[in-house]
Amino acid sequence: MANRGGRHARTEDSDNTINYVQCDGLAVMKMVKHCHEESSNMDLAQGALLGLVVDKCLEITNCFPFPKSGDETMDEEMYQLTVMRRLRRVNVDHLHVGWYQSSDVGNSLSLALLESQYHYQTSIEESVVVVYDTQKSARGFLCLKAYRLTPQAIQMYKDGDFTPEAFRTLKVGYESLFAEIPIVIKNSPLTNIMMSELNELLPEDKGHNFLDLGTASVLENHMRSLIERVDELYQEAVRYNKYQQVVFKQDSDKNRALAKLAAENAVRTSKGEPTVAEEEVIKQFRPMPVPARLTATITSGQINTHSQHIAQFCSQSLAKLFITESLQNAKEAKEIK
Amino acid sequence: MSRFFANGSDSESESSEEEVQAPNFNKASAFQFSDDEEEVKRVVRSTKEKRYENLTSIIKTIRNHKKIKDIPNTLSSFEDLTRAYTKALPVISKEENGITPRFYIRCLAELEDFINEIWEDREGRRNLSKNNTKSLGTLRQKVRKYIKDFEEDLSRFREAPDQESEAEDEEAHVSDAGDAADDSDVGFKKELSVTAPKLAKSAPAKVVPADDDDSDDSIDWDSDTESETESSEDENQYQNMRERFLKRSTEKGEEKIGDEEKRKDKRKEQKLKIRKRAEDDEDGEWETVVKGHVVEKPKMFEKDAEIDIPLVLAKLVEIMSARGKKRTDRRLQIDLLFELRDISDQHNLGVPVSVKIHFNIISAIFDYNQKISEPMKMEHWALLLEVMQSMMKLLLANPDISISESVAEEHEEYAAAPFYIRGCPLAAVERLDDEFTKLLKECDPHSNDYVSRLKDEMNVVKTIELVLQYFEQCGNPNERCRIYLRKIEHLYYKFDPEVLKKKRGEVPATTATSVDVMDKLCKFIYAKDDTDRIRTRAILAHIYHHAMHDNWFQARDLVLMSHLQDNIDAADPATRILYNRMMANLGLCAFRQENVKDAHHCLVDLMVTGKPKELLAQGLLPQRQHERSAEQEKIEKQRQMPFHMHINLELLECVYLVSAMLLEIPYIAAHEFDARRRMISKTFYQQLRSSERQSLVGPPESMREHVVAAAKAMRCGNWQACANFIVNKKMNTKVWDLFYESDRVREMLVKFIKEESLRTYLFTYSNVYTSISIPSLAQMYELPVPKVHSIISKMIINEELMASLDDPSETVVMHRSEPSRLQALAMQFVDKVTNLVDVNEKVFDMKQGNFFQRGNMGNRGDRGYNRNQNNQGGNWGGQRRDNRNQRNRNQRGHHKNQQQQQQQQVQTIDEE
Repeated sequence: MANRGGRHARTEDSDNTINYVQCDGLAVMKMVKHCHEESSNMDLAQGALLGLVVDKCLEITNCFPFPKSGDETMDEEMYQLTVMRRLRRVNVDHLHVGWYQSSDVGNSLSLALLESQYHYQTSIEESVVVVYDTQKSARGFLCLKAYRLTPQAIQMYKDGDFTPEAFRTLKVGYESLFAEIPIVIKNSPLTNIMMSELNELLPEDKGHNFLDLGTASVLENHMRSLIERVDELYQEAVRYNKYQQVVFKQDSDKNRALAKLAAENAVRTSKGEPTVAEEEVIKQFRPMPVPARLTATITSGQINTHSQHIAQFCSQSLAKLFITESLQNAKEAKEIK
Repeated sequence: MSRFFANGSDSESESSEEEVQAPNFNKASAFQFSDDEEEVKRVVRSTKEKRYENLTSIIKTIRNHKKIKDIPNTLSSFEDLTRAYTKALPVISKEENGITPRFYIRCLAELEDFINEIWEDREGRRNLSKNNTKSLGTLRQKVRKYIKDFEEDLSRFREAPDQESEAEDEEAHVSDAGDAADDSDVGFKKELSVTAPKLAKSAPAKVVPADDDDSDDSIDWDSDTESETESSEDENQYQNMRERFLKRSTEKGEEKIGDEEKRKDKRKEQKLKIRKRAEDDEDGEWETVVKGHVVEKPKMFEKDAEIDIPLVLAKLVEIMSARGKKRTDRRLQIDLLFELRDISDQHNLGVPVSVKIHFNIISAIFDYNQKISEPMKMEHWALLLEVMQSMMKLLLANPDISISESVAEEHEEYAAAPFYIRGCPLAAVERLDDEFTKLLKECDPHSNDYVSRLKDEMNVVKTIELVLQYFEQCGNPNERCRIYLRKIEHLYYKFDPEVLKKKRGEVPATTATSVDVMDKLCKFIYAKDDTDRIRTRAILAHIYHHAMHDNWFQARDLVLMSHLQDNIDAADPATRILYNRMMANLGLCAFRQENVKDAHHCLVDLMVTGKPKELLAQGLLPQRQHERSAEQEKIEKQRQMPFHMHINLELLECVYLVSAMLLEIPYIAAHEFDARRRMISKTFYQQLRSSERQSLVGPPESMREHVVAAAKAMRCGNWQACANFIVNKKMNTKVWDLFYESDRVREMLVKFIKEESLRTYLFTYSNVYTSISIPSLAQMYELPVPKVHSIISKMIINEELMASLDDPSETVVMHRSEPSRLQALAMQFVDKVTNLVDVNEKVFDMKQGNFFQRGNMGNRGDRGYNRNQNNQGGNWGGQRRDNRNQRNRNQRGHHKNQQQQQQQQVQTIDEE
């Protein structure tokens, strides 16, 4: 049971289509821009990723946003095709390699995401979903994650069977639904040069935005959603518990009925009458529908990611704290001088 | 022609003149309207015209079908006809005072004849096709049923089928055409077809004929010339048409005048009749209605009979014995009774007999209306009231008559005093009152009709008063209680401003107010009543009345002493409704008297269901998925309160929401992180939630939105905005002005808003202050410093606010002992995780139990597998048990790795 959520366990099982995602600065910037502009509390910003697969690396070189779903007059597929065709004309990579989505404090790994990623991955094998967390990034932590469904998860979703047995046979757990793939951001040398130049231009006491210690609000939000998830999981557990009770009751009823039948049959055979088959009795007890475990598993997965996020956030915050401290000290020392 | 109908009651000369115009109008394809006014008028007419046209055309098709004995089609046409007639009914009742048009009656009569003819002709019937026979049956039944409503008209028609008794041009036209239809069907058709397109083409027709007739005129005439041309054209038209219509129009003109007179006479007669009826005149009135029938009224007595008491009584018994029988003419019965009364009066048979007859008249009138669920007719009711009053006067004037139910039939005494009569005026007056309520409920509460009917309430109250006097003279306590309750029920919902004036000493203390009257009546009932119901209702009404007049403490004490809340569920629906009404009013009273908490408490039961309307019997909820059957709905309808007794629901809801806001918002602020926080008011919470869920909140419109907006303002301690949302022009007109002393209520509201906002502010923002100065708080909330001081002290005493007062500097020093938000969240999280772990363990335990059991059963094929599992399960169980022990040891144990991990994180955060 120990350390089930560890990262090393994950990579072993996952398929070897892609080892890492290499993302162009341009694509990242476009994603960030779109997500910040479009996403609000209610709806998410989504878009398509374009790129190429080179060896075991998925290069994302460009992206474009999907229109908001409110407009019904637009044919989304047509739109996507048109955009890709036009991009091709200007010599941009036009292979659809996945999609991105904005998220709020890591609430992203939902059933909907699983469904769409399933469709993507079944049609384009190497596609990924990139999740960008707007709120955390606004607090100075760039949060860009790429996920893929594990082969087990795909198999499970294909079967459409979410009973505990199916989960057991497929060895699907909350940690083996999604596999996180490391993202590398790669800039062209030209960009790097420009960045360094820009860096020179920045005055010394500015540019500390990333040192924002706005921990409270992010942590609070994380805690809130964590509480919600735990609540959901609790409800799932209660449901499962109820199911167990019902099954237990039914089982004991069934056994009682069978015992009774056996006794009756014994009497009958002694009298020389034909016996009644056990199937007759068993038929009366219809097996109860097993509650689907998919939501519970996904919720567990979410709790797991939340925990990881919190852990990561805290360690980052600690680091920041130290940086700020030393900066502060340096500043004070400077002032004293 | 329809203009003729519209001005039907005008002078004769006018009608004859219009008669000339009417055919013109019929031929309007060549007729031109150039005047605007004329246009407008035409629109008004056209509905009627359309209806009539529709009717006539259907009648014509029926006639055609009849001719070829196409019975199925006749049937369908007949159905169309009835439908069209119902559509035309409003027009007819408006234009012709409800008299069925003659052509319609004619059609019905003809149809009936036709059916009878076919029906009688057995030979022919046998030869009919199957389809025809079937429809014939249906048609016959339908027509018979339908015709019943027109019996009178039909009989009148049959008396004189050819006489044009009702002078209506349309009718004449149609009937003429109808007569002519057999030989000149084509002509009729043409006429109709000419009328039909005319309506549609009125606009184009306006220009075209103008060009035709007055080609030299320019298009831009001014209105004067226009009207001139019109009239000249009229003449032209008339000239053209004259040849065709000459004979008929002149003839009809004369006829019309005659008829008009007749009609007038008739109307006068009718009016006279109504007046007569009001005067209880017996002859003529009922007779004329049944004129058609040859029902000869039975002679009362032999001409030379000696009329004395026994004879009259015998007659009375004879008349009354017919009561309730199926074929009895109930009108006739009433009629006879009146006659009998007059006879007895004429012969001076004494008061007792008269009372007895009165009594029987009352019951006969009650009998007249057979359906209890429907109200009796207005005129019957008025009659009833009158008879009732005169009877009570007689009874009051003659104290030696005792009338009661306990007197047996054979012990009645009419000849000598003391007189004994069997009967119960109490029941009669109760029934009278009930009928009055039914009448009220039946008419539209927003019409003048309702107001005029409500005027009769005075009379009802007067009658009740008479009966009450009578029973105070000679009645047992039980009966007195009953009649007192009647009076109370007419009294309790009425507001008497005198009471408040008396309270303020503006009126001398000796003035008798309605509260005093209520007190007297109710106390009598409390003392003497032995049926629980009357007492309960009296208490409820009493509380209601007190609450209405702001006697909060009396009302509250009555509620608490009576223990009504405990057993009201066992009461009948009417009493429960009264209880609900009482509670609603008590809540309003508490609110006016600054007891917000009590107000909320009173109203919460009513409002939490979301259907106060139904609970107060002020209207039915719309039907959803056949929740109730028609039967049930009828019963519920009967329970409804008449409109003038309604409690304003919006006021009720607003008071409820505002008091909920005043309670809930500080509470929310105080318990922000409490996992087990309970809602004080669910309804209010829902409102708040639904508003929060909206992405865009506009300025408030409805009362609810105002309250929600106010609540939001209050949450951040902004009392000014909150007060503005609650007390403003819109809310004043909607809600607050409905209170008697609205200004006082508003002041009270603002005061409360200030205080509660202050509390909310302190709860919400205390964690950002180390100390707050009391004077600045007082300034912020425009409250006196001592008041602020007392509020804060109260909060500290109640341990709601962790702070202490520093008197010299006049500040509140915060202690900062509450957990920070993050800490609070972490605590909440721990709770949740513990819950989850508990459930998970339950799941595990269950599994173990299962395995054990299955293992024990051990008679299935997969025994080995089970045992295997069994072992495992046992192991796990051991582990779990260890875990649990561990957890027990250190209270907030760390159970699962995952959770452990998370909590460590939480701790790290806290450390940070």
